[in-house]
Amino acid sequence: MTDPSRIAEPSRGPGRVEMEGLTITFKLPGGETLDAVKDVDLALEPGSFTALIGPSGCGKSTILNAIAGFVEISGGTIRIDRETVTGINPEVGVVFQQYALFPWFTAIGNVEFALKRLRLPKAERRDRAIEALREVGLEDRARTFPGQLSGGMKQRVALARTFASEPKVLLMDEPFGALDAQTRVSMQELLLRVWDMHRATVLFVTHDVDEALLLSDWAHVMSAGPGRIVESIDVDTPRPRKVDEVTEDFLDNRNRIMRLLRPDETGGGAEA
Amino acid sequence: MKPIGKLLNVALSLIGVTVVWWLVATSGLISQELFPTPHAVFIAALELYEDGILFSDLAVSLGRAAVGFLIGASLGILVGLLTARTRLFAYALGPFLNLLRPIPAIALVPVAIVWFGIGEGSKYFVIAYTVFLAVWLNTHHGTAHVALTYIRAARSLGARRTREFFEVIIPAAAPHIVVGLRLGAALAFLSLVAAELSGASAGIGFRLQDARDYVRTDRMFVGLIELGILGALLDQFFVVVGNKLVHWEQM
Repeated sequence: MTDPSRIAEPSRGPGRVEMEGLTITFKLPGGETLDAVKDVDLALEPGSFTALIGPSGCGKSTILNAIAGFVEISGGTIRIDRETVTGINPEVGVVFQQYALFPWFTAIGNVEFALKRLRLPKAERRDRAIEALREVGLEDRARTFPGQLSGGMKQRVALARTFASEPKVLLMDEPFGALDAQTRVSMQELLLRVWDMHRATVLFVTHDVDEALLLSDWAHVMSAGPGRIVESIDVDTPRPRKVDEVTEDFLDNRNRIMRLLRPDETGGGAEA
Repeated sequence: MKPIGKLLNVALSLIGVTVVWWLVATSGLISQELFPTPHAVFIAALELYEDGILFSDLAVSLGRAAVGFLIGASLGILVGLLTARTRLFAYALGPFLNLLRPIPAIALVPVAIVWFGIGEGSKYFVIAYTVFLAVWLNTHHGTAHVALTYIRAARSLGARRTREFFEVIIPAAAPHIVVGLRLGAALAFLSLVAAELSGASAGIGFRLQDARDYVRTDRMFVGLIELGILGALLDQFFVVVGNKLVHWEQM
């Protein structure tokens, strides 16, 4: 369903994610069940950047958690490079909204935590960790503990940590949701720059329409009750993109998504 | 508050209380036999010091508290980690330990004396028991409730079970373990006195009991003040060391 020619830099490398008939049902305390995600078909091309956008409770984070192996799926399949996802897999990196840095390790300690699985010699591990911090502009904060870093810096360390272990797929769950508007914009630019160096397949969950259109090749709009994809938008703004660049296409896409997100007009959200 | 301000606060408060104490004791409302003046207590302390009893009691009591604490705390941490992270231990020991919790240390003194005699063994046992329960409970709670995001992050960053345990679960539980140790240290003193009140020939608790036989309230006050100072110093020690150890979460 994804047109490969749309990908900014056609990549045949690994990192293809395929979901077919994905259904995730939660048991509620009363014994009832809730279809958080129902019958979702979605494919992420290797090296592409896909945004999942929708209101709270539409199941966008649930899809991400399923690909990460954090939650069990109730129906359908998820495959990464033809292999069915059965649990948490270090080939799939995750960046969390609340950073999830380990406060007992320094910035470089956090990055090295991710590198340990590669079993490198100590000196090389250190060098690679410093290099990862340099990519996000924090090499001079290597010895700082997360508690002494601002929200934006924490998320930069988290990005460095995740990219350092070279995941094939990178899942981001509203990673900039807790940041102020200005920090958010510089983080988006930073993310595009770092992603351009590593080219993992990215799935980015957000409820910010501008953010989705700025970052992604594809923006899929979701609706709640049950969670499903109601529209897929091919974002063909050429790269490299700039935060302050507003094209006509951008505005068209923005209006289209805004209309979809208004619950009474989609018909889908009204029952929720 | 700055450290100097805090110190000043402690000093002023203690001076105030001593003044009120002195006023009450010299008011003639209560017999000084029953309620000695600060001065009489000071003389009694000096007397105990000159007899060499003050510090030998202190050393004996601290030694007992330390040994009991070390045994109880290490077992508490070990069993807490096990009951929190392994199903077998959780099911096998959880209900039993929760049944032990309401049993006060004092109730164990007679049993301890029958089992271990009136020597040091029974004191260690009673203290270790109290410390163990406090440390176990806090360690168990902290280890069982490690934030899911930490575990998810660790696993998706490729950490296996051993690394997850030592580099994520233990540090994440550390603030709770330190709280347990701090509580355990306070309880060690509580049970120390309980253990020393019967079947001891030295120690602060024994001296309190001994003073009762001679109606020496001044000596009793010396013992009580000693316990207060020791407990407060020990608590401060755990706060300072704890804040260094788990620097990312200040107490």
